[in-house]
Amino acid sequence: MRNKTITSGDLLLRTLSLGYISLLIILPVCALSYEALQSGAGTVWHQITLPQAIASLRLTLILAFIIALINIITGTATAWVLVRYDFPLKKVINAIIDLPFAIPTVVTGIMLVAFYGPNSIIGGFLQKCDIEIIFNKPGIVLALLFVTFPFVVRAVQPVLIEMERDMEEAAQTLGATAPQVFVRIILPTLLPSILTGGALSLSRALGEFGSVVIVAGNIPFKTLVAPVYIYGEMESYNRAGATSVSFVLLLISFLILITIHCLQKWSRRHEIA
Amino acid sequence: MKASITICMALLGALYLLAGCTDSARKTKNEVTLTLGAYTVPKDAYQKEILPAFQAYWKEKTGQTVRFEESYAASGAQSRAIESGFEADIAALSLEKDIDRLSKVGLITHNWKKVPGDGFVTCSVVVIAYRSGNPKKISGWHDLRRKDVDVLYPNPKTSGGAMWDINAIYGAGLKLSEISTGKQNKTHARELLKAIQQRVRIMDSSGRMSVTTFENGIGDALVTYENEALLRQKQGKSFPYILPEATILIQNPVAIVDRNVEKHGNREVAEEFLRFLFTRTAQTAFAQYGFRPVEANVAREFEDRYPVPKYMFTVEYLGGWGAVSAEIYGQDGVWSKIMEELSHAQ
Repeated sequence: MRNKTITSGDLLLRTLSLGYISLLIILPVCALSYEALQSGAGTVWHQITLPQAIASLRLTLILAFIIALINIITGTATAWVLVRYDFPLKKVINAIIDLPFAIPTVVTGIMLVAFYGPNSIIGGFLQKCDIEIIFNKPGIVLALLFVTFPFVVRAVQPVLIEMERDMEEAAQTLGATAPQVFVRIILPTLLPSILTGGALSLSRALGEFGSVVIVAGNIPFKTLVAPVYIYGEMESYNRAGATSVSFVLLLISFLILITIHCLQKWSRRHEIA
Repeated sequence: MKASITICMALLGALYLLAGCTDSARKTKNEVTLTLGAYTVPKDAYQKEILPAFQAYWKEKTGQTVRFEESYAASGAQSRAIESGFEADIAALSLEKDIDRLSKVGLITHNWKKVPGDGFVTCSVVVIAYRSGNPKKISGWHDLRRKDVDVLYPNPKTSGGAMWDINAIYGAGLKLSEISTGKQNKTHARELLKAIQQRVRIMDSSGRMSVTTFENGIGDALVTYENEALLRQKQGKSFPYILPEATILIQNPVAIVDRNVEKHGNREVAEEFLRFLFTRTAQTAFAQYGFRPVEANVAREFEDRYPVPKYMFTVEYLGGWGAVSAEIYGQDGVWSKIMEELSHAQ
């Protein structure tokens, strides 16, 4: 792939794409960081340690980790089913996996309220059992699961398709049980992609706004997530508060991305070994 | 690869064109453009009645056609948009605070309150909506403290308009204590607000979202504006509400954005439009769409529809928006502290 001679076309393409990424992502991110830090480290610290800010950040982080964990399990299982089994309408189901990416997140919120809300059949039944989904934390989890569902599936699926079956078969002939084969042979190969998918859904969940603002109920200290808090501070003229908490979310996302990068490096080394 | 270069070039070219062609053809001799930056709620009144009426009026007066560019967004968002460069000639917003911001950054240089009606073009009051037949027997603020009543109002942080709701409750507490004991009792007002806040199950991001949630069957009482309730009734929905005896008068400001009209050279028509908003025609239109008119004659005509609550107060009763922002919604404000206390109580 690598070519030592660099043509002027290469150079132009490289400049253009780097310029494009800068204008699209890097510079706006720098602008936000600059604005947040411009108000001074003291102000940033003060803003992010306000009780409501801490509560919303904590809620967001906890929920994001929970949904990343759930996604890792359900996403891997889904990818497994899609690759290893044949069933009617498999192609349709496979296409439906990506639907959450195509639906505007506000619509996701409306959909969930329509289906699980207190007015629906399911919501009404749950309400009788004293279970509250919409307008409480389970509703937020549901919305986040919906919008992040494709990440793990789409990360694991190609690895699973590429995976050679001979190792599994060899292990089976040597008398390994099915769980042993899964834990000792399949899982190590899949792990990097599972973690990558998990990390992607984690960072996506940190920033989700559109669907959550509709299903959460938005009560401070209870169901107010960080993106909605940021929006609220913005609306109530506290720009410093909004940018400071955004900056924290940005940092966390950045850490997650670095982790993904390391994971990918690790997986490449793993492949060679 | 050549293809991708071409695509990049095309994209850059498109960006360049977009940046270059927004300001052409703003003014020709027989046409004048007026940009209206308004909040969402009066959209129908403007679009269906007032703007066409003004176009006809101006055409007859000068022979010129007025072309309106209209933008409707949440009041805070609209104010921010204008602040950061959206060139609205007229700002019609929900809260005085949102206009004040435009003054602060120098976009509005005149005293916008020096017009008839003190710069407020419409009014409304905060009311309590309840379910058909009033199964929970709601008759005033005190009922919203009851354990069997679920209350809805939007989050004042995300919805500037929601501040009216909370101001109404807190102010009613002050007013009622003043009436029974002769002087304002802040502790009493705080207790009323805390007791009601404790009954709030959902704080939607905007007033409209709260109405939707309420209409979806959630909650027993909704704190909202009279004009919202009347709008729903006008649209044929059953939307019963009560006027609490003590409640706040909502006042919606409108102002010319000086720097933009100077840039566009359309001050004459902008000023005429502003005057037009206070005429019988426009005020009647507002009144028909659920707003309390500010023009005296129209107000008299509609007085049966818009009875004045016994103990009505304005934001000035609470010390004006400056005091309210700090004392109720600031970091150590009454509402912020109540939210903290309620979180510990869980």
